[in-house]
Amino acid sequence: MRSFGIEFVPMELFWKTTYYCMQAEKLGYDSVWITDHFNNRNVYVSLAFIANYTDRIKMGPGVTNPYLIHPVYTAQSVASLNEVAPGRVICGIGAGDRTTLEMLGRKMESPLRAMRESVELIRAQIAREKSGYEGQMFSTSAGARFNFKTKGEVPIYIGAQGPKMLGLAGEVGDGALINASHPRDIERAVSLIEAGADKAGRSMEDVDVAAYTSFSVADDRKSAKKSVVPVVAYIVTRSGRTSRNATGGRPSAPSTAT
Amino acid sequence: MNYNDFVKQVPRTMRGPLSENLIDIILEGDESLAIPPSLAKTILHYWQRDQLDSEAGLTNLLKATFEAEPEKTLKVIDTFDLKELRVALQPA
Repeated sequence: MRSFGIEFVPMELFWKTTYYCMQAEKLGYDSVWITDHFNNRNVYVSLAFIANYTDRIKMGPGVTNPYLIHPVYTAQSVASLNEVAPGRVICGIGAGDRTTLEMLGRKMESPLRAMRESVELIRAQIAREKSGYEGQMFSTSAGARFNFKTKGEVPIYIGAQGPKMLGLAGEVGDGALINASHPRDIERAVSLIEAGADKAGRSMEDVDVAAYTSFSVADDRKSAKKSVVPVVAYIVTRSGRTSRNATGGRPSAPSTAT
Repeated sequence: MNYNDFVKQVPRTMRGPLSENLIDIILEGDESLAIPPSLAKTILHYWQRDQLDSEAGLTNLLKATFEAEPEKTLKVIDTFDLKELRVALQPA
């Protein structure tokens, strides 16, 4: 089934972001994603507020990353949020962007490994598994589980752009957030996700694929393009060489509507 | 200032459009920090219930916009030709 979500950056006061999300719910959107960057307002404070003032819309971080936020804390955050908004929480996680990570002295080491282990650890933690987790990048000891009961699962969406990460999303994700806008990029990404799903013995019905596009609405085409330029430039500068090559080195055209 | 008394002067048919104009002021304004969080939460409460055009909803909205953006608020009131409200809100 096709559904529509929208992302908000918590740059503005909490009640403004909340207002926009309430508006999204009233307009029939299915989900809201709140970005997770250290230089904006906190994603989970924002989400907790949004959860209080909405009734139906799904919500989650879009996307957090395992280098700055330990997967156990991500699991704790989304599980707690799921108490406020049962069944409405989704969790977007990606490898982050190098520029932001470097600003905080972190390196993006083994992103595929980090993402795979993060997904496994978040799931194990929400399931309150007793045995602990032993990965190469993350580990927890036996008994390191929440002291509170969790209810239900939280679907994990992997934010992906490069071919290997897209494949991983197909392998282990409940969903994939394709960070692209051009239809050609989306087609290419979907085939890579499908290949990943095949490899893991899954079908595409097991993976909710979302095109995380830049979409700009204005009265005229020129204004619509102008307002989305900074967003596209940001995505392009932090994208890998493979993604840039796929579009001939040019940024993918944003979707615009008038 | 008793904003509720002012809102009572606003004809019911005007309350919806007026509330939409006022909400635009605080969403687009630069002085949003002037709105106390408790008042912002009250506005969200009424918005969630589609009651921003109710007497209570509009009262809180008017209070917020006038505290944050008095000039813009008066301009909107002028647009709606609410003369009595304009006089009552006009700074001495």
